[in-house]
Amino acid sequence: MLAIKNLTTEFASVKALNGISFQAKPGLITTVIGANGAGKSTLLRTISGLEKATSGSIKWFDEELTQMSVESIVRSGIAQVPEGHAVISQLSVAENIELGGLFRKRIARGDLAIATKEVYELFPILYERRNEQAGSLSGGERQMLAISRALVSRPKLLLLDEPSLGLAPLISAQIISIVNGLCRETGLTVLLVEQNANTALAVADHGILLALGEVAADMPASEMAADSALRAAYLGY
Amino acid sequence: MNSFLTAFFSGTAQGAIYALVSLGLVLVWRGAGVVNFAQMGQAMFTTYIASQMIQHNNSYWSAFVVALICGALLGALVDLAIMRPLTSRKNSQLLNSQSMRTTIPVIASLGILGVLKALAGILWAGEERGFPSPVAPNAIKIGSTNLAITGFDLFVIGVVFAALVLTTIFFTKTGMGLAMRASALNPEVTRLSGIRVGSVRTLGWAISGTASSLAGLLVTPRTNLSPNTLDLLLIVGFTAAVVGGLSSLAGSVLGGFILGYVISFVNVYSAPENVFIAILVFLLLALFLRPQGILGSKEVRRV
Amino acid sequence: MSKHRTHKIIGLRSTALSLLLFLFFILLNNQFGAYNQSQLANIATLLIAVLSITLLTGASGQISLGQGAIMAVGGYSSALLVTRLGFSMWISIILAIFISALFGLFLGLAAARLSGPYLAGTTLVMALAIPSIAVRFETFFSGDVGLSVDYGMPPIWLTNIVGEISIEEWSLYVALPFTAAALFAVLNLLNTRTGRTWRAVRDNEVAAALAGINISRTKIFVFVVASALAGLAGALYGFRGLVAPSVYPTDLSLTLLTAAVIGGLRSIGGAIFGTFAIVFLPDLIERVSANFTIPETIGNYLPGLTIGLLLLLTVITNPRGAAGALEDLRHHRHRKKH
Repeated sequence: MLAIKNLTTEFASVKALNGISFQAKPGLITTVIGANGAGKSTLLRTISGLEKATSGSIKWFDEELTQMSVESIVRSGIAQVPEGHAVISQLSVAENIELGGLFRKRIARGDLAIATKEVYELFPILYERRNEQAGSLSGGERQMLAISRALVSRPKLLLLDEPSLGLAPLISAQIISIVNGLCRETGLTVLLVEQNANTALAVADHGILLALGEVAADMPASEMAADSALRAAYLGY
Repeated sequence: MNSFLTAFFSGTAQGAIYALVSLGLVLVWRGAGVVNFAQMGQAMFTTYIASQMIQHNNSYWSAFVVALICGALLGALVDLAIMRPLTSRKNSQLLNSQSMRTTIPVIASLGILGVLKALAGILWAGEERGFPSPVAPNAIKIGSTNLAITGFDLFVIGVVFAALVLTTIFFTKTGMGLAMRASALNPEVTRLSGIRVGSVRTLGWAISGTASSLAGLLVTPRTNLSPNTLDLLLIVGFTAAVVGGLSSLAGSVLGGFILGYVISFVNVYSAPENVFIAILVFLLLALFLRPQGILGSKEVRRV
Repeated sequence: MSKHRTHKIIGLRSTALSLLLFLFFILLNNQFGAYNQSQLANIATLLIAVLSITLLTGASGQISLGQGAIMAVGGYSSALLVTRLGFSMWISIILAIFISALFGLFLGLAAARLSGPYLAGTTLVMALAIPSIAVRFETFFSGDVGLSVDYGMPPIWLTNIVGEISIEEWSLYVALPFTAAALFAVLNLLNTRTGRTWRAVRDNEVAAALAGINISRTKIFVFVVASALAGLAGALYGFRGLVAPSVYPTDLSLTLLTAAVIGGLRSIGGAIFGTFAIVFLPDLIERVSANFTIPETIGNYLPGLTIGLLLLLTVITNPRGAAGALEDLRHHRHRKKH
């Protein structure tokens, strides 16, 4: 269980997150929606350790994450797929995937081979293009690669930052449905940040609505999807 | 014809050494965004260590290995003790300024250079001394005709070639090599892959220290050894790195060889006094005609 | 109207400060013996070159490891004008400033395309290459032997006023008006719109460009001014007796940078403090180490070691140098009071 309590993150005394609290249950998809600048990306970056929390706590089961380094957080089973299809474009597709599992190479070489095989089965297009530079991939393929890089680390919690940003609706739907499948089959916990509320709420179990760095609503995804007044107030549609 | 061959072979051997220096500079620049002007000071220091060992009746090769290990340790120490604390202090007002973030480490490296030179002078006296090579610097003879290449040149070319092959294998075939390339290209994604970017960076400093320490061992049989002898090598290495492209490892090696030929041919066909001017002209030409270097890519240039 | 007034006030302040520096040196001069008087003249001369780094690196963010080479340009210009064309010292100094500025224009054209480590490396190569040009074109520049020039004798009218003037004092009297004028110019430049433009370029080039500042032109202009200052310092430095490659070694460039950094790259007071420090520190170390039995071989390296350590310590503990440390201290005390 991911439990966030009174979390505040400041940039030069501007509060990007202002004392937010919520929980994400294991094995389910929790989506965080909100308008631009609501603090969604900051939330994910604070969980993964890229930004330091000013105060508050982030607990993944018994581990307190706020004082851990990015590397240790990843190694304890929390993988982030950052915004903007972040892959290393000068490296090949295969190298990007290898990178994701590199820290496990010595401890779990066998499982790493299996994990690599699995992501290639999940995204066959990546296997076809494994020797090409990541920079030559299309946007959707890059997003697949970024997710694959995270998956080979065998995360228990996957943090997805706007996976559908800049992608054609069909492709983003495909990616979201693959993530959904993973969650249902393997018990992966997913925290999905999205600006596109409809897509996210359609697959999520639980919804969190962020507004100006605070939690504006915290309810089952189906209820949030149905509450058109809430969405009109905070998202404008 | 014979003078051409002489220039060519000595250019290859010199170029091999410049390639090492330039490789060392580029490794640290790509990994840490710092041009380390102390690099050849570190090499001078480890060459003195080797020289001391040989004077105390140790074999050349044991001194050789110890010097390389010391080069790695010194490189790592520079990063851990000085560069890392310096660049991690983001809140300092001075370091908030864009240009100062690259300037301050340069100044720090000059301080390290000064300290290393003074220490070497104090510990081992400042006067020039010779440094041995395992191969005599005489021209190789077949029958009674002298070839244009010396045994020492061959030795230098062989050692550097082996070092370059090992480096290439390290970077393309090992996980650590992949981690180093990745953290130079995109530190954030690399950290998010669970790789300790700080340690990888320190390793880069260590490899750079080893490469330049090797360059010191290979160049001093020709130039002799004093606290200042390797200064020129840094300048040449820097020019080579700029010519080849500061962002490209292969480019830095290529740049090293190009500089080797330029200097060697100026020496043979013109006069040794012209070497400095040739370097300056060559550097300025490279900067004007192709600022990203021969093999460098424009967008990677961090300025 | 108000703009005019601020300009006037700034002008007054710079004038006052420059005069103060002038008087301070004269006062010190009267306390000192011959050796320290010549050191004082060195300080007055080198301070001009250190100020050029304050402008270049401190105010506009461009690093130069080759200010010593530009000093050589100034030194050779004036020495050649005096020895080959028979110009007077004063005129040759003035012309050396213009020649160095012109050199700075070319350098700036190259430097405007470079930044950070590229600029540092290129200027370092220049620091090595320029003195070797003197050796290369030996018939014109007199090679390693160099050109002999000197400050000459003080004019009669001056000795009539102030009495007997030693050679050491005369070298200070020649340098000091230039030092005060350089300080005046630098203070005025930094406190006006020009200085703000430079700082904007230093802190964020993209933002400065968006604000309508022409980055290249600004950088070139800074190089011209800094080179003029360094050239002036180099000319004065040469008139101590000799203009030769050995007078302007690579280490001179690094010494100047050290002075600017330990004093504080962004502060005029820091430049003054740093120049005093690097000139007097070797003497101080020698005096201290005379109390111990230290072999000469070690003693020779103590100044280098101390200066290197000081540079490192400054950069690590407080990159803003002595001036920055003083400011922090004052700030701290101010806070405590409240």
